[in-house]
Amino acid sequence: MARAATTSDAFNAIAEPQRREILALLRSGERPVTELARNLGMTQPQASKHLRVLREVGLVRVRGAGKQRLYGLDARGLRPVHEWVGGFERFWSESFDRLDEYVQELKQARQEGPHDGDDQ
Amino acid sequence: MATISSGGEPAHATADREIVIARVIDAPRELVFEPFTRVRHLSRWWGPEGFTTTTRSFEFRVGGEWDFVMHGPDGTDYQEWITWREIVPPERIALLHGESRDDPNAFESVLTFAPDGAATRIVMRTVFPTEQLRDEAVEKYHAIEGGQQTLSSLAAYVTEIGRKGAEG
Repeated sequence: MARAATTSDAFNAIAEPQRREILALLRSGERPVTELARNLGMTQPQASKHLRVLREVGLVRVRGAGKQRLYGLDARGLRPVHEWVGGFERFWSESFDRLDEYVQELKQARQEGPHDGDDQ
Repeated sequence: MATISSGGEPAHATADREIVIARVIDAPRELVFEPFTRVRHLSRWWGPEGFTTTTRSFEFRVGGEWDFVMHGPDGTDYQEWITWREIVPPERIALLHGESRDDPNAFESVLTFAPDGAATRIVMRTVFPTEQLRDEAVEKYHAIEGGQQTLSSLAAYVTEIGRKGAEG
């Protein structure tokens, strides 16, 4: 009964570090529970328990693929978290993503030789 | 009011009205600092994915201004205005950010660039004068980005939030 409160929404679900690790792993694609458990160094029942919580709040979905059940990210569940965090952080977070890419380009250009027109 | 918030206040005093975002970029800090100093750099990366900027005027010096328009992917334009309060290459930039020169709700952001091995840790800290202004800014920028929610950027939030949780 008391458990219900700790798993009833996305905020509570991602408050648990191992569940965040599961979500991070799923960013690169669907995986079976066995693989998630192995990557996170936990038992399969432990991983299954976390996955159940993540499914209940709509962060993770599952589909059958032959004999396997594959777990994947369902980003719709993150919407309330995203909305609470707000666009300002995302504004900077995405700007920093683009800055990072641009800096890598600059770095590459420097290594290839000085060819930097100084025009504005 | 916003002028005294250049990072000197203890964290607990401002936690409810500040926003802090950090990133480690694999490059020396001179190289990470430089893209903040010229329009031709800024226009390549400023704003979220899909946004572009048109600059009316730009003068990178303390007291100088950057007057520009940000174009969203859905065609909406946003008037933006920035003035620099402090410039310490390649360590620190303090800027006031609003919609125009006389925007009473303009807020100060401080960017710091610190060496992290061969990489650079960049931290953006914004302390709003009040909690209400913080919430309003969050709302405004949320509106700016309305709609364009990709799975990958949403998912990236999981790791962002995780990092913040770990830092306490």
